[in-house]
Amino acid sequence: MSKAVVVKDVWWKYVGREDYALKGIELEIEKGELLAVMGHSGSGKTSLALTLTGIIPQRIPGEFKGAVEVFGMDTLSVDVTDIAKRVAVVFEDPEIQFVMSTVEDEIVISLEPLKLSREEIRERLEWSLELVGLPTSFLRRAPLQLSGGEKQRVAIAAAVARRPDLIILDEPTSDLDPVGKEEVMSALKRLRDELDTTILLIEHESEHVAEFADRVAVLKEGRVVLEGDPAFVFTQTQVLRSSGVSPPEVSELSSALGLPPLYRFEDAVEAFMRVVKEFKALDIDEEPHVGDTLIECKNVEFTYPGGVKALREASISVREGELIALVGPNGGGKTTLAKIMCGLLRPDRGEVRVLGRRVEDYDRLTLSSLVGYVYQNPDHQIFNKTVYEEIAFGLKLRKLPDDEIDRKVLHALELFGLRGLEREHPFFLSKGEKRRLALASVYVLDPKVLIVDEPTTGQDMGFNELLFKTLRDLTREGRAVIVITHSIPLASRYSDRLAVVKGGRVIANDSPRRVLVSPEADEWRLTKPQVLRLALRLGLNSGLTPLSVKELEKMIVLVAS
Amino acid sequence: MSTILGELAGVKAKSARYTSLHLLAKLALPFSISLSLLHATEPVQALSLAAVSALACILAGVSLKVLKKYIAVIVSMSAFIVLAFTLFTNLPGRMLYEITLWRMEAEKGVLEWKLSVTDTSLNYAAAFILRILAMVLSAALFLATVSDRDLVWGLLSLRMPFGVCVAASLFFRGTQLFISDFHTVREAMMARGVDFARTSLAKRFLLYVNALIPLLSLMITRSYEVSLALESRGIAPKSRMASGYHSFKLNRHDYTVVALSILLLLAFAAWGWLA
Repeated sequence: MSKAVVVKDVWWKYVGREDYALKGIELEIEKGELLAVMGHSGSGKTSLALTLTGIIPQRIPGEFKGAVEVFGMDTLSVDVTDIAKRVAVVFEDPEIQFVMSTVEDEIVISLEPLKLSREEIRERLEWSLELVGLPTSFLRRAPLQLSGGEKQRVAIAAAVARRPDLIILDEPTSDLDPVGKEEVMSALKRLRDELDTTILLIEHESEHVAEFADRVAVLKEGRVVLEGDPAFVFTQTQVLRSSGVSPPEVSELSSALGLPPLYRFEDAVEAFMRVVKEFKALDIDEEPHVGDTLIECKNVEFTYPGGVKALREASISVREGELIALVGPNGGGKTTLAKIMCGLLRPDRGEVRVLGRRVEDYDRLTLSSLVGYVYQNPDHQIFNKTVYEEIAFGLKLRKLPDDEIDRKVLHALELFGLRGLEREHPFFLSKGEKRRLALASVYVLDPKVLIVDEPTTGQDMGFNELLFKTLRDLTREGRAVIVITHSIPLASRYSDRLAVVKGGRVIANDSPRRVLVSPEADEWRLTKPQVLRLALRLGLNSGLTPLSVKELEKMIVLVAS
Repeated sequence: MSTILGELAGVKAKSARYTSLHLLAKLALPFSISLSLLHATEPVQALSLAAVSALACILAGVSLKVLKKYIAVIVSMSAFIVLAFTLFTNLPGRMLYEITLWRMEAEKGVLEWKLSVTDTSLNYAAAFILRILAMVLSAALFLATVSDRDLVWGLLSLRMPFGVCVAASLFFRGTQLFISDFHTVREAMMARGVDFARTSLAKRFLLYVNALIPLLSLMITRSYEVSLALESRGIAPKSRMASGYHSFKLNRHDYTVVALSILLLLAFAAWGWLA
């Protein structure tokens, strides 16, 4: 095979930054190969992708050393627009890529620089949509009004239509709900099976990588720390974890049971069928230790001014000390329900009570002290000039004495790992730090209920585990925590209840084990943790529901033993 | 297809025939009304032009209810115009009302400030108010019938560089995003206890100034990401459209609207010249 990409000792530093984002990267990609790049947030994955397009260093100012060759083109000397004729990129956020107001125009505008005939453009339009599994009726639709999965598939179609030799997919599923992820992954599968294109896939979820990748490279702080085929990479648990990557659960399980390395799900099912003799029941403490009811929503209905009915007779209660995960598809009503609970939206019908009192009877200051809300995008929430002022803002609003403000802010800084950044302008913090700052600035108000909206989006597995552990600790202080998330494996491991919100209704509200094995779980399209899927495929009775590798490891009795 | 005013204020033109016209035709009519304003110096002329604008809006299916949102602006501007022509300007003509507001006798003469209402000042004020009304209506006609898609492909058909056309499209999307972000930031402040209804004007002003920090941060991040996405698709400021995938030929209806627009401009120019 010949080389599609050759990266030789590449060093890259963004202007104004002290440290290099890429440190001596050496990498090769064969033609037709699918290379997955994994690593913690800020490890240099996107910077690496941008060096392959020539955008780094041609368009972004900074210090560049080394050489990158893409299909023989030196990215230092060949112009970005010429490289773009052979290299296409699909970014994490599909919306940011859209410039036109119909799907047809969006794809056509990608083809315009190629100087094709009208007929050829039409042919490529239809072919690319078909490849990503969208009908031609989508051509007249507005990209911004599509679902998350559809948007990302349009972005992929716009990239594929150019018939590039290299496609770079930069975390194409991280913003999506499970249904959207499934749609994009099946489009990716067709892409790999039907085209002879070289693909670079940047991805956090190792389960996806295991299914598709020919080779995996793991980045940590700008360096390649691990590289090889998935069978090798996914056995290097320690290096992976220290790089913010969780190996596939089947891989961890096979290693824990002393079996040969396994990383693909179907291979694992086949292998385990041969070696598993039976399952033991485990004594799992299912009932959460919860206290009084803090919030009670009864038959809540809400319609947005544009006429979109977001909630229909939604009911839920929140008790002291519990962690509830609100899950379900995008647009299902999770955020609306959460905003109703903290009084930011007033229901059209139904009743919301906080600590037994109607939510309408509270003034804004008191209600916000009882129910805190952390936004999905921390940039929406941070508006002070220093980290200290940001955390102190709510306390000053409540006119607390200075020494008490100081004590509370220092405690929050410590708890969320922001000590030393007090005088820093929030604008210059990393994404993860901003997210922690947003949490700290709400936590410091000591709310009885803390609502956190999609905190795991776009973050690495290491950060997400740490975040859920912190939220779990907060419930031990007697608070209730509500997390809106698409990460079912994390939610099922840490939360007491999964509340499924779909079509404006709370259609399920029970312990993760019961929700995930209920007959309707597939209909709700909840992505079960890999270990649970494996156990069910192996014929485990639904009364025994493993949610983690450790649990399934303890349940399995091997043939040999 | 959502229009610019549709995105910003939810106002859309109902006439499919008018909205499907070529961008040139949809530009020609409001442009002709705007140019005719230069010749409409008499109240009757300005009234006729306002009536033509209103008629064009009705025919295009743009609800005149759109004016409701701007009534406060129109009334306050009208009041300023009347005050300007009576308090600060001494226009010759038949005096209808006069009162001295302030008088000072000095060595070199008398200095007076009078409120003088003459028939000419009222005529001028009426003409200006009606011209503003015609301008508001013609702007509503344009914004409620032109979508960002019209603008982009219209500009492309006029052989404008790709970068200019895409920038025009992104400008309107950016405005929408800015408004949406502003509401979210305001809501996030409320989530931490800010009660805007009970906050003093000065404090509210300071809070809005603070809100500029996240808004600017979001704008910079978005602009950076959008420019990366465009560059990676090979779309550069100087790129040109090559395929002619969308053909933009003027049809009979377009020619009719353009001809009527020219006639309107000529008629008002002649009327202004004769008057």
